[in-house]
Amino acid sequence: MSATATVSTPTGLAPSVPTAILAIARRELRDALSSKWFAMFTIAFAGLAIALSFLSLAGAGSSGFAGFGRTTAGLLNLIMLLVPLLALTAGAGSIAGERERGTLLYLLAQPISRSEVVIGKFLGLSGAICASLLLGFGLSACVLTWRAGGVGVGAFVALVALTCLLAMSMLAIGLLISVRSRKTSVATGLALCVWLALVFLSDLGLMAGTILFKLRVQEVFALAVLNPLQAFKMGVIMQMNASLDVLGPAGMYASRTFGDHLAWMLPGVVGVWGAMAMVIAMVLFARRVSV
Amino acid sequence: MLDMRYRNIGISIFVLTALAARCLAAQTTDVIGALIDAAAPGSTITVPAGVYQGHLRITKGVVLDGHGAVTIDGGGEGTVVELLAPNTTLRGFTISGSGAGVDREPAGIRAETGPVVIEDNVVDDVLFGIDLRTAPDSIVRNNLVTSKHLEAGRRGDGIRLWWSHNCTIEDNSVHRSRDMVFWYSEGLHIRGNHVTDSRYGLHFMYSHDTTLEHNTLDGNSVGIYLMYSNRITVQDNVLVRNRGASGYGLGLKDCDDIVVRNNAMLANRVGIYIDNSPSSVDSNGLVEHNAVQYNEIGFLATPNTHNNDLTENAFIENEQQVAVHGKGDLAQNHFARDGRGNFWSDYAGFDLQGDGIGDLPYESRNLFESLLATDPNLRIFVNSPAQQAVEFAGRALPQLQPNPSFTDPSPLVQRPVSLAAGTSSRFNAAMGFVSLILLCVAGAGLWLGAERGLRRKEALS
Repeated sequence: MSATATVSTPTGLAPSVPTAILAIARRELRDALSSKWFAMFTIAFAGLAIALSFLSLAGAGSSGFAGFGRTTAGLLNLIMLLVPLLALTAGAGSIAGERERGTLLYLLAQPISRSEVVIGKFLGLSGAICASLLLGFGLSACVLTWRAGGVGVGAFVALVALTCLLAMSMLAIGLLISVRSRKTSVATGLALCVWLALVFLSDLGLMAGTILFKLRVQEVFALAVLNPLQAFKMGVIMQMNASLDVLGPAGMYASRTFGDHLAWMLPGVVGVWGAMAMVIAMVLFARRVSV
Repeated sequence: MLDMRYRNIGISIFVLTALAARCLAAQTTDVIGALIDAAAPGSTITVPAGVYQGHLRITKGVVLDGHGAVTIDGGGEGTVVELLAPNTTLRGFTISGSGAGVDREPAGIRAETGPVVIEDNVVDDVLFGIDLRTAPDSIVRNNLVTSKHLEAGRRGDGIRLWWSHNCTIEDNSVHRSRDMVFWYSEGLHIRGNHVTDSRYGLHFMYSHDTTLEHNTLDGNSVGIYLMYSNRITVQDNVLVRNRGASGYGLGLKDCDDIVVRNNAMLANRVGIYIDNSPSSVDSNGLVEHNAVQYNEIGFLATPNTHNNDLTENAFIENEQQVAVHGKGDLAQNHFARDGRGNFWSDYAGFDLQGDGIGDLPYESRNLFESLLATDPNLRIFVNSPAQQAVEFAGRALPQLQPNPSFTDPSPLVQRPVSLAAGTSSRFNAAMGFVSLILLCVAGAGLWLGAERGLRRKEALS
């Protein structure tokens, strides 16, 4: 990310709160968009999303029945792998990077609070990541427009919205890591650890626990839904099927117990993770004695 | 002679009374009863249009025709219409308001003798719909049956046959009822019926020698469930979204000599479920040319299941193509006949000779699936990277690889063509609109960043 940029505010005046946040957000957006890592992600995500929509069209050939088959699941898997990876590392790199390069000092010398810096960076990076995701989804929708008469638009829009929410949540966690890290390499390493834990380790551990301790159905559901990625997945399935019954006994238990409340509870879990990470990040950053 | 004259006068009087009564609100079924009393056996009675309150017991073999304009309202008590004489036809009525208590099993239409013909009726707000008890050789055709607003287990059966052989049940629509159920009835013809939002779409108990064809079972708890019934052919049926607690498209329990052919099982919890069928040593089951798609489990069977031949079926994108219900394998069944197996959408082999048969056998050694057999609760982790990781571990590490529960020695590489129920590859304008909006927003974001970057470059140069 380029470090030479400065915050452009009207000269001579202390910026109002939104102006300062927006200025930082704009700079962050611009820096993110000009980074190669970001361009690579955008191209990879768009390419895979288009390929998957072609594949799912081929799969839905007979009777035009768009079931929740393996191909549709592919898009979910892709999102759950790539989106947290990008968002976590982007967030982790942002403040730690500036700290390492020494530009954070200049940034904090401006008449703005530390919370505004965190919020500004969050907004800017959110904008960049969401723009990149929307490009991928938009192209994918283009393919679906062409032939998928039966595909529900509502479910697709929900998928896009939930993915953006997931990205923002992961970004917040990345920022939390970034606030505490002295070096970009350490922050990125930590972000990768968190990614690994969220995507694989927690689920695998819970699987082992389910088998070893013969967990009851409500325990399995409660523990699984704590993981924001699982909550995201269930949220998408909820929008597509209006029920979690494809997820076996635990899903049926959830649908039976919570019913339509799941439609907001599951995105709620994802959102709460992000909000908590964001608050903690701001508190920690504000309390830091050094930059 | 005198009798005849009196009868004619009687009919005239009753018809006049009926016409007069039509103008009045409180018209009872006694009017229809009198029409029947007055008619000769075998004659056709056209019932004047209108709403009739009360119950109707038909004790003479006549043809009653309501021409779709007659409503009989039982007022929420007992059975509304009873057919108690053979050779009775009930046609074109709207029948509603039976009792709701299960102890006497109140029905919209009940026949206690056969043959009878029940056709073109609308039966609504009843506990049981059409109930045939010991009514052989009857025809139930083109009726629309809806039960009361109760929980599925507390409703009555939409159409029930009890000890009624050689009946034809065709083109009926049953919504929101319990089962369409057949008890101890043999030689039935069940065609073109449509059952939705019910418990068991078509349910057989001890009913042999029957053909079920061209029925549609959509959104029931279970589509077709055959129990203890032998020599049944199930063909050309569509079983969609049957997703109750067990959620079978087609379930077979202890049935001998069943043929399942050319059906489509789509998006059920389980496409085909077999529990110990065939149950006799010397009988066989045949499952061929079916399209089993988008189910959580394509084919599920208990480990004691044996002697089934599965050939030329298409198993496409089921979450789990084949599973065993419990510990064990399906080695006693044949997944190919005469050198032709089934089509598997996840088959990863090749066909060097180009004879349409894959050179490698299809067998499932999926670690995640074998874990699912250990603990079904793990299904909550499907469609996640963790599932992929487990499956990868199973492939990469031979010591983790489970034994295959079955083997298809000659899988088909091309999907059998006879199935496909038409494609819907039409243009989706709404999706185009969404696409446009998404691309615009993305473009705006990118432009915002890029434009600023441009300005910066200008400023630097």
